[in-house]
Amino acid sequence: MRKLAKLFLALTFALSITTSSFAVTIASWGGAYTESQKLGYGDPTAKALGVEINWVDYSGGLSEIKAQKEAGAITWDIIDVFAFDTINGCDEGIFVEFDFDKDFPAAPDGTPASEDFFAPMPSKCAVGNILYSWNYAYNSENVKGTPKTIKDFFNTKKFPGKRAIYKSALTNLEIALAADGVKPGQGGAKIYEQLETEKGVNRAMAKIKKLCTDPKGGCVFWSAGAQPPELLMSGEVVMATGWNGRFFNATIGEGAPIVQVWDGQGLDYEYFALVKGGPDEANAKKALAMMTNTEMLAGSAKYIAYAPYRKSSIAVMQAGEPWYKDGKTNMVPHMPTAPANTKNYFLVDPFFWADNGTELGEKWEAMKAGL
Amino acid sequence: MSSETQKILTTDGIPLEVSLKKAEKKNKIKAFLLVCPLLLFIIITYIFPIGEMFSRSIDDRMVTNMLPKTFKAMESWDGKELPSEEVFASFLADYRALAEKKEHGKLGQRLNKEKNGFNTILKKLWRKMKKFEEGNAKEQIMAVHKRFSDVKYWQAIKRTAPPYTMAKYLKGMDMYFNEDGKVVQVEEDRRIHRILWLRTLEVAFFVTLFCFLMGYPIAHLLATLPMKYSNLLMICVLLPFWTSLLVRTASWMILLQQQGIVNDFFVWIGLVADDNRPEMMYNKTGTYVAMTQILLPFMVLPLYSVMKTISPSLMRAGKSLGGTPFIAFWKIYFPLTIPGIGAGCLLVFILAIGYYITPALVGGASGTLISNQIAYHMKATLDWSFASAMGLMLLTGVLVVYWIYNKLVGIDNIKLG
Repeated sequence: MRKLAKLFLALTFALSITTSSFAVTIASWGGAYTESQKLGYGDPTAKALGVEINWVDYSGGLSEIKAQKEAGAITWDIIDVFAFDTINGCDEGIFVEFDFDKDFPAAPDGTPASEDFFAPMPSKCAVGNILYSWNYAYNSENVKGTPKTIKDFFNTKKFPGKRAIYKSALTNLEIALAADGVKPGQGGAKIYEQLETEKGVNRAMAKIKKLCTDPKGGCVFWSAGAQPPELLMSGEVVMATGWNGRFFNATIGEGAPIVQVWDGQGLDYEYFALVKGGPDEANAKKALAMMTNTEMLAGSAKYIAYAPYRKSSIAVMQAGEPWYKDGKTNMVPHMPTAPANTKNYFLVDPFFWADNGTELGEKWEAMKAGL
Repeated sequence: MSSETQKILTTDGIPLEVSLKKAEKKNKIKAFLLVCPLLLFIIITYIFPIGEMFSRSIDDRMVTNMLPKTFKAMESWDGKELPSEEVFASFLADYRALAEKKEHGKLGQRLNKEKNGFNTILKKLWRKMKKFEEGNAKEQIMAVHKRFSDVKYWQAIKRTAPPYTMAKYLKGMDMYFNEDGKVVQVEEDRRIHRILWLRTLEVAFFVTLFCFLMGYPIAHLLATLPMKYSNLLMICVLLPFWTSLLVRTASWMILLQQQGIVNDFFVWIGLVADDNRPEMMYNKTGTYVAMTQILLPFMVLPLYSVMKTISPSLMRAGKSLGGTPFIAFWKIYFPLTIPGIGAGCLLVFILAIGYYITPALVGGASGTLISNQIAYHMKATLDWSFASAMGLMLLTGVLVVYWIYNKLVGIDNIKLG
């Protein structure tokens, strides 16, 4: 009996060694998104480097990695995070700082990595992965006429019916101002200028409140990315804001009569961060550099309609069209960064939200409680 | 007395008293050792984490240690107008020292929780201060960003001076210490926590009430039906219990939404007009329906186990002594089930007060409860001390409910089986 126990102990020990020091663990959001990461660049990188890459699901936020760090038992090497999480994580000293041009390969034409990225990184601890969009969509079977602009989302006279919006203030305030006639300006700078003032915040809140209390309108608040297409398909709402990749999956992947509207969209980013003192930091760093190179990032766009963070990846996709995994859909026009989709847009500002998120969150909840 | 009377001795000559004590001591140690694992388990998984939560919620030593010179210089500042050059200079010195240790980011994070917008201006200061000239700190810092000339930001620093603080508890009740050290309320459009506390209590209370109203007859039926029917009914009660919480919540969404199955049925039988479907989801109705269904087994099971022990002859005796069935029920049966009611209600109430996935999914605008706010501060803002404070407030609330229950009904009257 004792021998068996010893053997068992040795086995688990050996197992923990093999899983902890010869494999890279990446925490990401799960679902279709992680699938696209795994197939697009995770598996090819693992094969090329001869390092096992494990994907684990988490639901965002830094609480888990902070807890792992405080307990002295870090099990994740790389985390897929929001922009303001990379800022907070960098400040807290959880993530490794990068030297972008040294740590990441240049584009095929020799452009250094830092210039190949679509936008500068929000902190030194982040490397861009995808760009996605907070846009809105409608079910063409339930809406008479064709909504074309962000103003139409708030126009309950012309398009009566309930709307689905995101549960927290993030991007709702920006969209409200854009629909209220604020010209976004360069990357949405004008919108954030307004939101820095109390007047601007009140204006945005009032716009949302008006929509939600309108007898012809009304609001449903969504919290999970899968909800907006579902709410549209069930007829519960006539229009919904949401993430463009989810709408794309419903339309192209499942043939739903959902139409996306790109006017007034909010471009947002998703990042990888490397955990300081992770179980296999050296291999993780190598894997991260490879996963975010031009070819690999383009690979993930085969499976989901999120734009690769590198400009040079778009050229790879263009050359390989039809790029979508079904072999007949051109992917570039579905990218949130496509010229036709970025006529009127704003860039979600992580610094603004890292700074003001708590206070605006309180105001937002108080507004919601009064609905 | 005992020295005079002859002591009783055991066969080997030791006084009986001593020998008995020895044997009892052995038993006591044995008993203690048997309880030990459980005791350790409770200490490790319960008492220690709660203690840790408490110390986290009042501990504010981090800033106190980070800005020693600033706080010393601030002692003579009245907190009304912009502080003097001395305060600015010592703040700059403290911040420089932190930047060298690469800990300035943590300070920015902490102060941003005290006053939104602090992190950005500190980062800006970090970039600019390398080019600062000697002296004249006040002017140079104020030139970095206009917020540095706003006295509110300096008051925020002063507020963090004490190493231990109750500020997080006050914040949980929408209050804070102002510059005079008085407790005042936050601005009206930010008072959210009190609304959430009340809403949490309200939801928990009504869910408990509905569970009781529905669970009591079911439990009665279960306890009185013949075995072959009651077993089937029991499975019906337990089956949802074994289904995933999320699946059940999602099913309610499909059933109750405006274009859902229940509404379709109402329209089909002509109860409501097609363009005037009632809203039963994404509001309080949805929350009550889904939570009541999910928590119902926690009410039925304790009630059932108590009712099962009540002999049917008692009711018959009541009736044969001249009581109507109602009187017999009210005077005999009902009082006997009170231990089960107490157990069921406490169980459901305590579970409901900490619930958050279901209300978040089906509750719509009014769906956020206090537990969602705790999770938000755990995950998004990383303000763990505030989350701990609110968690402890919630725990205290539960203990108060327990205490009231004990006063009203008596805790000895609880029976789970």
